[in-house]
Amino acid sequence: MNPLTNPTAQAVDNVLIYIFGFSLILLLGITAVTVYFVIRYRRSKCPEPTSQAHGHLGLEILWTVLPTLIVLTMFWYGWSNYLGLRQVPDNALEIKATARMWSWQFQYPDGRRESKLYVPVGTPIKVIMTSVDVLHSFFAPAFRVKRDTVPGMETYVWFTATEPGSYDIFCAEYCGTGHADMITTIEALNAEDYQQWSQPVVSAEPRGLTVLNEQGCTGCHSLDGSEGIAPSLFQLAGAERALVRGDRGEIIAIDSDYLHRAIRQPEIELVEGYDPMMPPYDEQTISEDDLQAVINYLMGTATAEPKPDARQLLEDNGCLGCHSTDGSLIVGPTFKGIGQRGVTLERDGKTVEIQVDADYLRRALLKPNEEIVQGFAPMMPAADYLSTAEIEALVEYLLTQ
Amino acid sequence: MKQTTLTGFWQESPRSGVLGWLLSTDHKRIGIMYLGCIITMFLVAVCLGLAIRLELIAPGPTIMGPQTYNATFTVHGVIMIFLFIIPSIPAAFGNLLLPIQIGARDVSFPRLNLLSWYFYISGALLAVIAIFSGGGAPDTGWTFYVPFSTQTTTNVNLAAFAAFMLGFSSILTGINFVTTIHRLRAQGMHWGRLPLFVWTLYATAWIQVLATPMLGITLVLVMLERIFGAGLFDAARGGDPILFQHLFWIYSHPAVYIMILPGMGVISEIIPTFSRKPLFGYWAMALSSLAIAFAGSLVWAHHMYASGMSDMAILIFSFLTFIVAIPSAIKIFNWISTLYKGSIQLAPPMLHALAFIFNFAIGGLGGLALGAAAADVHLHDTTFVVGHFHYTMFGGTGFAFFAALHYWLPKFTGRMYNHKIAMIAWALLFAGFNVTYMSMQAVGIQGMPRRYYDYIPDFQPLNMVATVGSWILAVGLILMFANLWRGCRSGRPVGQNPWGAATLEWQVPSPPPLENFGAEDPVVTKGPYEYQGVVADEY
Repeated sequence: MNPLTNPTAQAVDNVLIYIFGFSLILLLGITAVTVYFVIRYRRSKCPEPTSQAHGHLGLEILWTVLPTLIVLTMFWYGWSNYLGLRQVPDNALEIKATARMWSWQFQYPDGRRESKLYVPVGTPIKVIMTSVDVLHSFFAPAFRVKRDTVPGMETYVWFTATEPGSYDIFCAEYCGTGHADMITTIEALNAEDYQQWSQPVVSAEPRGLTVLNEQGCTGCHSLDGSEGIAPSLFQLAGAERALVRGDRGEIIAIDSDYLHRAIRQPEIELVEGYDPMMPPYDEQTISEDDLQAVINYLMGTATAEPKPDARQLLEDNGCLGCHSTDGSLIVGPTFKGIGQRGVTLERDGKTVEIQVDADYLRRALLKPNEEIVQGFAPMMPAADYLSTAEIEALVEYLLTQ
Repeated sequence: MKQTTLTGFWQESPRSGVLGWLLSTDHKRIGIMYLGCIITMFLVAVCLGLAIRLELIAPGPTIMGPQTYNATFTVHGVIMIFLFIIPSIPAAFGNLLLPIQIGARDVSFPRLNLLSWYFYISGALLAVIAIFSGGGAPDTGWTFYVPFSTQTTTNVNLAAFAAFMLGFSSILTGINFVTTIHRLRAQGMHWGRLPLFVWTLYATAWIQVLATPMLGITLVLVMLERIFGAGLFDAARGGDPILFQHLFWIYSHPAVYIMILPGMGVISEIIPTFSRKPLFGYWAMALSSLAIAFAGSLVWAHHMYASGMSDMAILIFSFLTFIVAIPSAIKIFNWISTLYKGSIQLAPPMLHALAFIFNFAIGGLGGLALGAAAADVHLHDTTFVVGHFHYTMFGGTGFAFFAALHYWLPKFTGRMYNHKIAMIAWALLFAGFNVTYMSMQAVGIQGMPRRYYDYIPDFQPLNMVATVGSWILAVGLILMFANLWRGCRSGRPVGQNPWGAATLEWQVPSPPPLENFGAEDPVVTKGPYEYQGVVADEY
C-alpha cells in the first residue's frame, strides 16, 4: 500500500498495519515452532515419544488470556478508528449520490448533476447516497471508504482529498451484468480549478420563461405538451396550426410574427377548438423587449439557455450503462438505429407493434415501465426528473441514431 | 499387486446389487454414497473455479461473457457450499465413522439417515436442473442478496428450493448424530473418552439442527417475494433489504462453523496418531469446539459492517467476533503442543494436517483484520475476503477433507495408496493453494472488489499469478485423486490398524463388517489417544 495522506485512509491503514503486523509475528512464530518440533522429534530420531503429557492447566490459561488481551486491543483500535470514519467534520460539503445499474450520479447543492465526483482538495466531502434499484456499494480504495447504497434508505461516507488527482470509485456490492463496469472517479481539483469548474454552465433561467411565469401564462398554456384550457406552448417553432380568423379557416406554420400578433391581439386569430378567452397584452403589461424574449424562448432561439447536450445527458444519467450505442446488447435495447426501427411492445398485458417516434420515446423516458419492449425486463427507472428541454434534446438525439 | 474384490460391508447386505446400496440403512454404505456424490460435486465446482480464474487472467473478456461469468461464480459457490463443504466431512466421514468411534452398530435412526441422503441427492439434482432450465443459471451469487435476487430473471426460484431441500438433509443428519452420541455410546465410552472428531461432530450437529431452519425460512421468503411480490424486502412497500441480510447470515455464519469444526476434529485425530502422544489439552479442545459453536452463532452481522446497519450493531458484532477467535487460537496452540516430545511420522495424512494448521492460521489471522470495524471498511467485499474464506474453507476444511481421505480410506477399502505420489501431490496442492489465494488476498488489499468480471490494469500482475497458482493446484488435485483411486482399486492390502491409532475404528477389520463389531459389543477401557502398547500393522 502506498502511504496515503488523507485522514480516512490513515485511520484505516493504522489499524491494518497493527493487525497485519501482529498476525505476521504470530504466524511466523506458530510456523517456526511447528517446523522445529517436526524436525526435532522426527520418528527416525525419536522412535518413541518422550512425554505422555495430557495437558497443562497453566498453559491453557496462559494461551487463553494472552490472545484475549491481544484481540481486544485490536477490537478497540478498529472500533475507535471506525468512529472517525463516521463522524463527519462540520464544514463538509454535502453531495448527493444516486447509484443505479450501472452508473453513478452526483448532485451538487446547486442542483448540478455529474457522473464524476468533482471535489475541491482540502474540503471534507460528505457523500449522501441512495440507490434506485438494487444494492450497490460506494468504494473509493484510495480513501479506504466503503458503504452500501440501499434503495429506500440514505447512507453516507466522508473523505477529504489532500492531493489533486483522479481516484477510482468502484461498486463493491455485486449488482449484475455490469457490476465490474460500474466505475467512475473522484476528480480532486485544487482551489482554482474547482472554482472554475463550479462556475455555472447554465446561466439563470431565460428571461422569456421568467416572463411567461410572471405573467401567469403558464396557468393556461402548458410548457410540456399537456392539454389544458389553452393551447400548449410546447414545440411551437414551425408547428402547423389550424387557425380561425373571422369565419375563415387557415393553416399556418407558427413564426415570430404570428406569436407577436397572438400576444398583443389574441382575439383576432383563434386556434381551432379553443374559446376566445385570452386577454390582450399591451406594451404597458409586457414591454417590447420582454415580448421579444418570450418569442425567442418559444421559438427555441433563446440565447440564455444553450440546448442541452444529449450525448452528455446520456452519460451523466447512466443510460449508457444499460443501452449501448454500438448495437451490442447490454441490458436494455441498444440506441443504435432506434429512430428507424419498429418494436414490439407489451402494454397492459397486450402485445402491440409500433414504429419508434418522438411520442413513443417521450413515453419511454417518462413512464418506462408502462410499455416494455418484448424480451426485456421492466427495470428502467423513470427519467422524470429531467427538464422538458432535456427530454426533448434526448428525443431529438435518439431519433437520429 | 493382485486385484481382489472388496470385503466387509461392501459385500454384506440384505439386498444385492444397486438396490443393496440405494435402500441400504448401513451407515457405512450411506457414508460411501455421500462420499461419492460429494467428491463428484467437488470436482464439478473445481472446474468452474478454474474457469473463473482463467477468465481473470487478464482484463477484459477472456473465455466468457459477463452473464456467463456471473452464473459461473454463483454455481461454483452454491455447489461448493451446499453440496460439498457443508456435507463433506459430517455427512461422508461422520456417517462412516461416528458409530464405530463410539462403539455403536449404526446411528440411532438408520432410515432417517437414508432419507437425508435422498434429500441431498434430490437437492443436488434440482440444483443441476436449475442451471440448465428456466431463465438461465442463477446469477445472484450464493448469498442471494435482495433486491437483486428478487428482480433477476434467472432461475433463482429453483436454486433456492434446491438449497432448501439440502437444508433438510443437513437438519436430519444433525438430529441423528446428536441422538446417536447421547444414546448409543458403548459401555465405558463416557464423555471424557469420546474422540475429538465425535466432539466436533456433536457441536456441528447442534448448529445444523438450530441454525439450518433459518436458512429454510429465508429462502422461502425470497421465493414468496419473487412469486407473489410479498414486499418483505422492498423498501418502497415497507420492507427492508437489510432484513434479508440478517436472516441470511443468522444461518450462513454459523454454517461456516458447520464447515470448519469437523475439519478441526479430523486434525485432532491425526496429529496425536502420528506423534504417538495423547492430544494435548483434551478438555480444552472439546470445550472450545462447543464454545465455537455457541459464540459463532452470535456474530453473523460482521458480514454487514458496510450494509448501512447502525454503528451500535457494529460495535457489538465486532466485539463478539473477536471473542470467537479465541477458541480457535486455543486449538492451534494445543495441536502444536501435541507435537512436543512426540515421535513424529510425516505420513500423507499428517502432511495434510500440518498444512491445515498453517492455512487455517492465515485464514484465522486474516479474519481478525476483517473483524476490526475500521479495517473491514476497506477490505469488505474485496478479493481479500475471497482469499480469506478460501484459506479457511479450502486451506482448512478442504485440506482436512484430504487428510481424512488419506487417513481413513485405507480403513474402508482395506487398501493403501502410494505414499510417494501422495506426498508429491500434497506438495503441489500446498504450493498451488498458497500462490493462488495469497495473491487474491494481496490484490484485495490493493482494492479489487470481488465478483468482478473485468478489472483495471493495476490489478493484472497478481491476478495472473493467482491463475497460474490455480493450475498447480489442479495438477495436485488430479494426482491426488488418481493416486487414491488406484490405491482403493489395487493398492497393497492393509491390516486393521495401519497407522497405529488408538480409537475404536482401528480395532475392527478393514473394511469393517456389517454392524461393525462381531457378536459382542465393545467395552471401552481407555481414552482415545493412549498409544502405549498399540502397534501399527505392517503393509
